[in-house]
Amino acid sequence: MSWRTKVRAAIVSMPILMAGPALAADDPAVLKDLTAVIALQGQPCGQVVTATKQGDNDYAVACKDGSRYRVFVNAEGRVVVQKQ
Amino acid sequence: MIGNRAGAVAAGVLVLLCQACDSTPPASRPTGGAASREAAPAAPAPASKPEAGPTAETATPPRAEPPRAPATAPPVKPIVPDRVKQPASQTTTPPTPAAPTPASPTPAEPAPPAPTPASPPPAAQTPAPPPPTTPAHAATLDLSSLEKRLRETKAIGVFTKLSLKNEVDDLLEQFREFHRSPDQSSRAKLRQAYDLLLLKVLSLLQDGDPGLARDVSSSREALWSILVDPDKFKNL
Repeated sequence: MSWRTKVRAAIVSMPILMAGPALAADDPAVLKDLTAVIALQGQPCGQVVTATKQGDNDYAVACKDGSRYRVFVNAEGRVVVQKQ
Repeated sequence: MIGNRAGAVAAGVLVLLCQACDSTPPASRPTGGAASREAAPAAPAPASKPEAGPTAETATPPRAEPPRAPATAPPVKPIVPDRVKQPASQTTTPPTPAAPTPASPTPAEPAPPAPTPASPPPAAQTPAPPPPTTPAHAATLDLSSLEKRLRETKAIGVFTKLSLKNEVDDLLEQFREFHRSPDQSSRAKLRQAYDLLLLKVLSLLQDGDPGLARDVSSSREALWSILVDPDKFKNL
């Protein structure tokens, strides 16, 4: 395998490897759950349209009204809605 | 001869006229003297004459009545329609049915409303049975069962359940503070927070798990009584 081929393989595989942790959560149940959480915390959102999983119990969400939040569970076990 | 006869006839006619004048003036003067225009209504009086033909004295009072009746008929129509039958029978009859018509619908309307409320009660009775059963649940409030059902319901997502649990824990901590301190003024605030939290739970459950929402709603007061009572709260 030549040097050029190795570089091409690395370039092609890099985005795939990087995209691993950030998986889009298109499950309507998850979107509804995140919408309810944000509403319970009293934050404006309307409806969550996209959610990206960043880790265990950690989501980056985009709302219908354009606002973005990070929803996660902190070390104390509390659900936190953080405006981005 | 012809002149004497004519003169005799003329004299007789004059005598008759004088006699007639002597009898009529007392009755006609008082009525006609007040207003000369009422002499025109006196014209219809001859129509009533045939009814009171035998005596002119009885005929004259009816003459006076007809003019009074038309003048007073409009206001008196609803009160005494039967008394003024002859003079204003044609004019009063239409209003008379009109008056009874509204009167009859009025009693008729109450009748329909009566059945209408009668029909809702059965509908109300249908939801009524659940409340008696739910108070029964509330009386024997099973907190563990309620908690288990809340944990297992799929109407609320994991994040939402965790968030609700955080709020419940916060509220329980406020109740602990409430029972520690002798100040009972924060009871109203606690009730407000409790109602708000319960409202959140109900809004989350009502679509996905209406049965659980109903049970939670029915046990609202029982739960509150446990939270407010220091002894019961300790045993939680």
